[in-house]
Amino acid sequence: MMELRKSLAGRIALTAVATVILLFLALPIVVILVTSFSNNAFASFPPETWTLNWYKALFADGSKWPAALSLSALIAALSTVFSLIIGVTAATALVRSELPLRSAVFALVLGPLVIPQIVTALGLFLFFEPAAMLGSPIAIALGHTVLASPIAVLILIATLRGIDERLEDAAASMGAGRLTIARKITFPLAAPGMIAAAIFSFITSFDEFYISQFLSSVDTVTLPVQVYNSLTFEIDPSVTAVSAILIAFAILALGLVALVRWIGSGRQESLLSVENTVGVANPGGEAV
Amino acid sequence: MAATLTAGAPARPRKRLASRRTRVGILYALPVVVYLLVLFVYPIFSTLLLSLKDADGSFTLHWYADALTGVNLSVLLTTLRISAETAVLSLVFGFVLAQAITRLKPILAGLAMLVVVVPHFVSALVRTYGWIIMLGDKGLVNETLTSMSVPGAPFQLLYNELGVVIGTTSMMLPYTVLLLYGVMRGVDRRLLAAASSMGAGKVTIFRRIYLPLVAPGLASAGLLSFILSLGYYITPALMGGPDQTMIATLINQQVTKENQWNGAAAQGVILLVLTLAGLLLVKVVTSLGASRKKRSAT
Repeated sequence: MMELRKSLAGRIALTAVATVILLFLALPIVVILVTSFSNNAFASFPPETWTLNWYKALFADGSKWPAALSLSALIAALSTVFSLIIGVTAATALVRSELPLRSAVFALVLGPLVIPQIVTALGLFLFFEPAAMLGSPIAIALGHTVLASPIAVLILIATLRGIDERLEDAAASMGAGRLTIARKITFPLAAPGMIAAAIFSFITSFDEFYISQFLSSVDTVTLPVQVYNSLTFEIDPSVTAVSAILIAFAILALGLVALVRWIGSGRQESLLSVENTVGVANPGGEAV
Repeated sequence: MAATLTAGAPARPRKRLASRRTRVGILYALPVVVYLLVLFVYPIFSTLLLSLKDADGSFTLHWYADALTGVNLSVLLTTLRISAETAVLSLVFGFVLAQAITRLKPILAGLAMLVVVVPHFVSALVRTYGWIIMLGDKGLVNETLTSMSVPGAPFQLLYNELGVVIGTTSMMLPYTVLLLYGVMRGVDRRLLAAASSMGAGKVTIFRRIYLPLVAPGLASAGLLSFILSLGYYITPALMGGPDQTMIATLINQQVTKENQWNGAAAQGVILLVLTLAGLLLVKVVTSLGASRKKRSAT
């Protein structure tokens, strides 16, 4: 493909089209960030005058946003805890043990990621309705965990695969017990992956809409459901400010994951550096 | 006697270790398996049962008959049409963008990938709202077109099929770009060089070598965005008009407004079957692609 269409005109055309597509992806987000500071909050761009009123309105008396925000945060925190418990155990089973029917277990884990969320939400609605649990934050958190835990499992599988098992073997050979190995070797090395899994579980639950909408009641309205309602039924200009805050959260979370990953990659390298120097001293040694 | 002892001794602990590892595996797999069986598999199973039950509890198929006739059938067809349009557009845009990114310098490519990935983690609801702001009569797009005095501007870009497809395409684009980028990076460039050294022209190389190599990736990316669009609800509901009602919107209406659970269940099952059929197709395509790649490498 490098050889293909080498001409300058072709290159410029491709770059231009690619830039337009990138704008197509980025602009809806940029527009919200800008409009949230605009005096005319609805469908006018670029803004003529600037204001912080929409952000102030979020916390005015009678505003529904603080309640929705804290409910979403509570539910997301609960389902992060559930997802991490499920994720750590499941990843250990799938990576570090001999599991019968391993591929069936793996397929079960992938299930919620590929099945339409509306179908999962409908099933959960039919599950919790007879139990009179509609509107219960616990029910919503349990529902979100169905979607968030597979993501945590996948991230933690990748994390455990990335940890050099020989470090654990080396500790065992020096007489460390299984608990000590878990506490002093595996956990510190897996910590960045666990933080990433926690962040992604949190975002998944925090942004989840279908399950929340089916399981919510008048009193339990999560933030995305409130955003949806204010876009369809009640016109509330503060929705732009809320959207901007949600964007900021997402970017912050991704930045945090990147930071944690970066710190974590340094950590394993420093542990393995002993081995690398051995490799330099003994170039004829067995390549692992 | 001594010989059997030395031969037998090391085997036993290893076997015991293996069975211990199995027991640990089962123990650790229990939480996820139990959780998903109770809160994922069982609910879907009871949805299936509900879709086959009449009001008095007897077996019936009339919810499916309902779902496949009249207005419901046209909603299903609309869903398939919008998903197909979305799949084609996100495939074309994804192909061009992935192609451009593979040719960029590493730093620029990283930046471009950031622009692709970050929106994916911003709530779909928020991005849809961004589009609503942009595509309105006085939105950025129409203002720009008017100021360039494009004939016919401002256009109606919202609450019609164009609006929905713009929205869903932008939601699916990160998937197709990431998938196609991976596929394109995996193409063995020596094959292209070999073809060129034997005198093949650029168009021939693209058509005969490059396209067949990336075709399975293209097919599965297209299928995947088709499947993901099928169950979409937020964007069609907010950016479309009444003619763009999709099956997920209908399921939602039947549950929350009409209390028509059996009908909703039947439509959920139809959506599920379509999704599973699509996934099966993805699997067939990928295994075909794998065998083709093996053949071209030998």
